[in-house]
Amino acid sequence: MDLGALTGGAERGAASGVPQGGQLVAFAEATVGDDDAALARTREALIAALGPAALVDAAAVTSNFERMVRIADATGIPLDAPLAALSIDVRRDLGIDAYAAAAQTPAPSRVARVLARWAGPFVPRLLRLASKASRSSAR
Amino acid sequence: MLRPVLAIRYDAAPVPVRSDLPEAHTHAWQRLAAPGTWWTGAERVAIAAEARAAARCPLCRERKAVLSPGAAAGRHASVSALSDAAVEAIHRIASDPGRLSKRWFETLASQGLGDAAYVELVGVVATLVSVDAFCRAIGVAPHPLPEPQPGAPSRTRPADVGDHGAWVAIRPGRVGNVMRALSLVPAEVRNLLELLEAHYFGPDRITDLGETGRALDRAQMELLAGRVSALRECFY
Repeated sequence: MDLGALTGGAERGAASGVPQGGQLVAFAEATVGDDDAALARTREALIAALGPAALVDAAAVTSNFERMVRIADATGIPLDAPLAALSIDVRRDLGIDAYAAAAQTPAPSRVARVLARWAGPFVPRLLRLASKASRSSAR
Repeated sequence: MLRPVLAIRYDAAPVPVRSDLPEAHTHAWQRLAAPGTWWTGAERVAIAAEARAAARCPLCRERKAVLSPGAAAGRHASVSALSDAAVEAIHRIASDPGRLSKRWFETLASQGLGDAAYVELVGVVATLVSVDAFCRAIGVAPHPLPEPQPGAPSRTRPADVGDHGAWVAIRPGRVGNVMRALSLVPAEVRNLLELLEAHYFGPDRITDLGETGRALDRAQMELLAGRVSALRECFY
């Protein structure tokens, strides 16, 4: 996935590599905005592209994160330390460090940054292993 | 005697809604109406009503438009008898969560809003906003707020909470900070987990990048999650 789609809008969403990314980003933007007509248009576009069950899933996810962002921002929780170290480059590239709540997360130590640079390339593989373990234990 | 909270249904929705969602929302509405840990049922419903009122509040609208929220002064268009500090907390969390600050939180505390009561308030506001957002997203009207249930708050505080870098005390643990953010009020964590399971994934499946069992794949879900979070300027 082109992570620029997260901060760049529907056009970046369409070019993100995610199936129907443009429609999904447009829908997400409409749910956060105040324009009910725009929301209705993106809702219909999503149903046409992915079906009614996908609309329900999309609405569930967007509304879930309307809840989660408020919990995170209203309690002032810092980013978990390993993630703070691993995400330095991504956060900088996406401009996330400019958000007001960035002040809540201390800068990772030099040791943490070095370890993150070393461990970073292995994270996708570790996530796939964790995912496999999670599915195995669920059976 | 407890008066039952009516089950939430999505029969009038333009699309079929899978059953775990109305089930989770019904439970959320039941918990909303019931006495909580620090607030009565009536107060919890009042918090929810204020969270809805924030969308029509001229002060909230003005604050969102200015560079610094503190630059806009005045009183909120309140619909309840909750304290000024509680109303300020509710309206800001509902309408402008990305620009909350530690100084703002500490001001609320100095005005008498206790940390645990604040955490429960956050849980109620977040729940209300989430369920209302789901309704709007699928094209149905928001559900009527439930009738408050009688009873006193339990007033129990976990013994193992402490300073782990957040504005509020949270429990220690190996799960992510966002899962422990409301742990000063365990009932709100239970509410969060049930809604998380229905809307997204429970904590045991978050690292499972395989089949979602839903109509959207994981990448599509994360694209939605990430875009909403970026639009709300949520650093976490």
